Amino acid sequence: MNYDSYPEIKPGRKTIKRIYIAVMLFIVGRAIQAAGRMDKTVRKEFQNLKDDFVFALGVHPHGPWMVVGRDTKGRARYLGWNPEGKKIPLKMSIKNVESAILVFTFQESTSVAFARNRFVVDGDLIDALAVVRVLDLVEVYLLPKLIAALAVKRYPKWSELSPVRKHIGRVAIYTRALLGF
Amino acid sequence: MFLPDYYEFCARVKTVAGHRALDKIPSMLSSLGVTRPMIITDRGVLGAGLIKLVSGAIKGSKLKVGAVYDEVPPDSEYKIVNTAAKLYRAKKCDSIIAVGGGSVLDTAKGVNILVSLGGANILEYEGAGAVKRKLRPMIAIPTTSGTGSEVTVVAVIADHQKKVKIPFTSYFLLPDIALLDSRMTKTLPPFLTAPTGMDAITHACEAYYCLAKNPLSDATALTAIRLISANILNVVKKPGDLQGRLDLANGAILAGMAFSNSMVGMVHNLGHATGGACGVPHGVCMSLFLPYGLEYNMHKRAKEIGELLFPLAGPEVYAATPLKQRPEKTIEYIRKLNQNLHDATGGRHARFLKEIVDREGRQMVPKEKLPDIARTAQGDGAKIYNPEEINYDDAMMVLEHAYEGKPLDRRKVRKG
Ligand SMILES: [Fe+2]
Repeated sequence: MNYDSYPEIKPGRKTIKRIYIAVMLFIVGRAIQAAGRMDKTVRKEFQNLKDDFVFALGVHPHGPWMVVGRDTKGRARYLGWNPEGKKIPLKMSIKNVESAILVFTFQESTSVAFARNRFVVDGDLIDALAVVRVLDLVEVYLLPKLIAALAVKRYPKWSELSPVRKHIGRVAIYTRALLGF
Repeated sequence: MFLPDYYEFCARVKTVAGHRALDKIPSMLSSLGVTRPMIITDRGVLGAGLIKLVSGAIKGSKLKVGAVYDEVPPDSEYKIVNTAAKLYRAKKCDSIIAVGGGSVLDTAKGVNILVSLGGANILEYEGAGAVKRKLRPMIAIPTTSGTGSEVTVVAVIADHQKKVKIPFTSYFLLPDIALLDSRMTKTLPPFLTAPTGMDAITHACEAYYCLAKNPLSDATALTAIRLISANILNVVKKPGDLQGRLDLANGAILAGMAFSNSMVGMVHNLGHATGGACGVPHGVCMSLFLPYGLEYNMHKRAKEIGELLFPLAGPEVYAATPLKQRPEKTIEYIRKLNQNLHDATGGRHARFLKEIVDREGRQMVPKEKLPDIARTAQGDGAKIYNPEEINYDDAMMVLEHAYEGKPLDRRKVRKG
């Protein structure tokens, strides 16, 4: 078993919350990789990014983090939980654990979290906006509508995201996210 | 009253405003412990004789102007910042007086970063959190009533080669002093007074209905709209009206405080993109997109948009309009204001995209450019703070309406 692929939880206060966030980041990170295979919008977003694009999303300053990049074929790749030693052009950090909990329990949408100045973006804003669009779509796949509708500004109508596309996509993305391929 | 669970607000700029506020420069600079300011400005301001007013106010004091840099172009660039910083160092200046519109003020903020923190290229300070220390003392003296840059935490500086505008953001970019003197905006011609004033109204409106709204930005936004709405048309018709000029300057600074803290939405999102893709001046875009921004967000913000009618149209109109009709009336009022400004400027104030022309009379936004604008808008940060989602198709839909000047077909707005 490759222990390196699982997040290390730094001991300290708020351990339970950190574990929860780490698990969410792990699932979302893998789900982005899966959605990059299954969903044409996500695929296109990654194809439009620069060749060596990598982003880290996590909690300032000690994590947890997820690192996702674009491979040479333009596909999304989950690159693990550890940003150290990697060249990361875009770092999106939430200022503290409490703010991150609001975001990852979907009490606050990404946009509202931005509006409340909870994010620090270090890197190109154009890329950051692409990541926000991808996160929104992945949340629609991962979460029941009741919750996802709170997490995104506009839940996609059937016309945009057909039930077939959604449910098949959801199952596929879950499977791939959990199995990690 | 709307109160968010959490918000941040910072507007720590000493503001000095009056018909002869310039006279305060010597005492204010000496209280900041400096004696050798550099003046940063542009040719238009210099030509209008405004720098003479500033040096006149300094004459006879202990201050000595170390250098004057007057070559800031309308759409300033990082190279300009680097050059001006070199001059500041060569002439051993110790502070900055920026006199001009948004481009000059932002350039001066950039210069201040370099001369305070070191380095030869401002691009090294790109990104959030790069400016972490107090900068040199700076006085911002706006000569337009619009951008509000004298109280904002951001400086936007372009890289023309790469065709990008780079935002530099830090609380340390707030100038020490904002100085509003009615004489400094008096010479601004009507065709510029109109769009810059509409830019300020847009700052206040978007601050009032977008996602980061809070009680302090609400208070500043509402007063800003009241001051600008009551004066903009009069001043366009009578440019020498000094009291009206001072009211507009006060409105613009208040609007600047509001949006610097609660950000802007779709109007700026599309406006930045139209500016980037077609070179249309910022204020022109603001004037014509503002009614669309209100219409587009109506289903989520009817109450707030209705409340804007009070500062826009005054208590009588507000009271005479039934609650349910207020949001519509607000939009109608803005459209009417644009029309009046159009008439008062002899048709130079553009009402829709199709009629924007450059100095040679060429159309600036051909219809084929709309997809380009919509695509650019997807990469502009202001979309984050807009209440409703805006993707490429939404932006195209709005742009097509704004091209012809048709009110938005609200059935076409996809509601979340
Ligand atoms: Fe603006």
